[in-house]
Amino acid sequence: MAESIASTCPYCGVGCGIRLNVEDGRIGWVDDDPANRSSLGMLCVKGRFGTSFVHHPDRLTTPLIRRHDVLEEATWDEALDLVAERFLAHRGHFGSFASAKATNEDAFVQQKLVRLLMGTNNIDHCTRLCHSPSVEAMLTQLGSGATSNAYADYEDASCLLIAGCDPSSNHPVIASRMRRAIDDRGTALIVVNPKRIEMCDRATHFLQPRPGTDVAVFNGMARAILDAGLDDEAFVAARCEGYDVWRDAILERTVEEYAAIAALEPEELRAAAHLFAAPPPRRGLPPGERPGSCLVWGMGLTQHTQGTANCHAILNLALITGQLGRPGSGVSPLRGQNNVQGCGDAGCIPDSLPGYQHYDDAAIAPFEEAWQAALPREQGMRATDMVERIPAGDIRAMYIVGENPLLNEPNLHHAEEALRQLDFLVVQDLFLHETAEIADIVLPACSFAEREGTFTNSERRVQRVRQAIAPVGQSRADWDIVSDLGRRISRRMGVDERQFTYAGPAAIFDEMARLVPFLGGLSHDRLDREGGLQWPCPTPDHPGTRFLHADSFPRGRGCFVPVAQHEIAEEVPDEEYPLILNTGRILEHWHGGTLTRRVAGLLERVDVIPVMVHPDDAASRGLADGDAVVVRSRRGRLSGEAAVSDAVQRGNLFVPFVKLQDSAANFLTNNVYDPTARIPEYKLCAVSLEKKRGRRRVGATAS
Amino acid sequence: MSVAIDGRATSAEGSLLDAVLAAGIDLPHLCKDDNLPAIGACRTCLVEADGRIVAACSLPAEGVSSVDTQSERVRRIRRSVLELTAGMQEAGSEGTAGGPLAAAAHLAYAREGADVARFATATGSQIDVSSPFFAFHEDQCILCGRCVVACQALQHIGAIGLAREGGATRVTPGAGVPFNDSTCTACGSCVAACPTTALRPKEGPTDG
Repeated sequence: MAESIASTCPYCGVGCGIRLNVEDGRIGWVDDDPANRSSLGMLCVKGRFGTSFVHHPDRLTTPLIRRHDVLEEATWDEALDLVAERFLAHRGHFGSFASAKATNEDAFVQQKLVRLLMGTNNIDHCTRLCHSPSVEAMLTQLGSGATSNAYADYEDASCLLIAGCDPSSNHPVIASRMRRAIDDRGTALIVVNPKRIEMCDRATHFLQPRPGTDVAVFNGMARAILDAGLDDEAFVAARCEGYDVWRDAILERTVEEYAAIAALEPEELRAAAHLFAAPPPRRGLPPGERPGSCLVWGMGLTQHTQGTANCHAILNLALITGQLGRPGSGVSPLRGQNNVQGCGDAGCIPDSLPGYQHYDDAAIAPFEEAWQAALPREQGMRATDMVERIPAGDIRAMYIVGENPLLNEPNLHHAEEALRQLDFLVVQDLFLHETAEIADIVLPACSFAEREGTFTNSERRVQRVRQAIAPVGQSRADWDIVSDLGRRISRRMGVDERQFTYAGPAAIFDEMARLVPFLGGLSHDRLDREGGLQWPCPTPDHPGTRFLHADSFPRGRGCFVPVAQHEIAEEVPDEEYPLILNTGRILEHWHGGTLTRRVAGLLERVDVIPVMVHPDDAASRGLADGDAVVVRSRRGRLSGEAAVSDAVQRGNLFVPFVKLQDSAANFLTNNVYDPTARIPEYKLCAVSLEKKRGRRRVGATAS
Repeated sequence: MSVAIDGRATSAEGSLLDAVLAAGIDLPHLCKDDNLPAIGACRTCLVEADGRIVAACSLPAEGVSSVDTQSERVRRIRRSVLELTAGMQEAGSEGTAGGPLAAAAHLAYAREGADVARFATATGSQIDVSSPFFAFHEDQCILCGRCVVACQALQHIGAIGLAREGGATRVTPGAGVPFNDSTCTACGSCVAACPTTALRPKEGPTDG
């Protein structure tokens, strides 16, 4: 008899409601959930048809220990005792990656183990690789690093500006909600992207700048807004600071000069700026309400050596126009992973404790009291720095949970060289992926469908994840593995192991809610009764918060930050590597592809890396659509298939970073970093492109 | 405002169909999705409203005083509509897989006592298995249009349309290309909405 279990989609940050229909222990049809407030009964191909990876025969079913250079099956006791012993031996040179795919509860227990037992703040997760510049910039300017609004605001907006993101590929249900606003309510759309994306079909303005010139684009828009007197003087006077210095910096160039840097038409830049600042009211806007504009962005802004500057530039636009803190306005970095918001909320970042609380006496006291121990107060290392500092011996042991750096770090040959120098590497995941293959110990974790917990989506909505099937093999939930490990380490250290004794995920959530004020009113029980709720939700009778910054900013006044346009990237095209490589994602594959390559239908849709190339660049190399090609950078090469399209500009290639047939874009990308957020420059490096030479037929003789 | 549904006073909110369903009466409504606008294509929700035979999904409840869902006349006409609908489906090729609503049409035929073999006006016979995720079996299509509305009004993708007119009307992805070559993103909302097995998930394991 089939059973239907309501849960949350494990793929992107939209956080769609799914109903898993289970028969004989297997997930069959996945239904949408019209009651879910984020997805309103919609799903995309991955949520609907992409969860069968949980039943894939490649799933890890037992712990593995490397003996004589071979990973051999072991018992949980053998594996966890060894991990406990070796981690303790490396105290002081230890780092950990948490997983934005796991639950809040998993994340909370993991950072607790790292801080309380390993005595370090060296914990981070993939936010470093996606939205760390957004978080840095928003913390500086507003005092909160989270998306300020809700998906409902996209539908209530009169204008949407989407920059450096491709929602139809990466956040498909948000794209549907945006299309609904545009089609049914007449909401205007501005797209800023070096690549023509599908949403451009509905755009009023499509700004296609030269890659790497985002600061010039947004500074140019700011100049146009100031010139036209469309700035919100009352908002700036009442709510902001730093205006004069910023305005003087903006006035150093004209709209024409900014447009020239970005290779845009000044009139188009001006028109887009005016539309954003003062859009005509959408259909059905309540009388007397000011038409709102939303700023929505993705990794096109963040994954640059000037990623933080790009985010400052776009945030300045929200401040100068007062497009914040009202229905239909706000700022949204679209979060990539299902729980990247929650993993940060739960404290898996090196800069702060759970709830973004700093390492000062007042903030740390409740944690030390609850956990009955002194906690480290030094800033920890960021994920990218941990990898870069292995060769120097600063990091000698790592605990990597639900993350595959050997597919996701830039310049993979370099990253592998570093990780191989570790004394001790533990990887905990569903599959024996590239990083697990070089680990000393591999621990089998169970999937989202085999555990209880919560995910927090891109609009700060905390939603329940529910167990639908029994754990595969001996796999266990991350929180369960980490707490077991925590008890073993505690015993060896002679400290109270009850800090890692939990009745279950609901009890872990309760501990987190006691220590994180903005989650204080939430519990599994309440989420079960009321459905997903948006934080801040400080008390049990608080309804949750649709948008932030209504009356003030967490830091007090919103702060303008002047930023200047630099060289487009650290590495620019030259004679040997004449093209710009831009990386991103496609609808069918999830990030590196560890999950989606194990869903037959998704692999059938796309089974070779599409290398998108402009028709002129294809013609000059004698390439036709579908030809096998090789792309090279100074760091590596990849094989793919030419996808000839004028969606990319002349001189540019676009390649999704999924690994297919042993090729992956991150063998080519550049391991250079934004100085503030330490995010790699995934979006821009120099490459060459050529037709793949035909393989010699077997048995053919050279003539 | 209230409306009497089979003699019981019911709040007159939304459409007549909403009121009938709120009254706990299980009226067929093969082309109406809970969350989407009414299409009014299938005419299987016929009721007698103040003496007139109307499609309940397409008339606001407000302003109607009494509704009879079970009069001899409306039952006969509704049964005929269901028989015409059933005639569009090729018997024996329903398959076993289907979305969550796949049994809706056959449950309605059975409940209303429709003779499914009375008419045979089968629509097309094309089978589109190009998508790795679902198949379209035209011989089970009753042209209710729910897939079209799910694609357009829910997801705002517009990959599926109704082409041609009258007896030649067909559901089709785009300009006559197979689903996999169309603008379809395989979100599956059409499969979830289909009240027959015309759009059905592909059977068998999709992993490995």
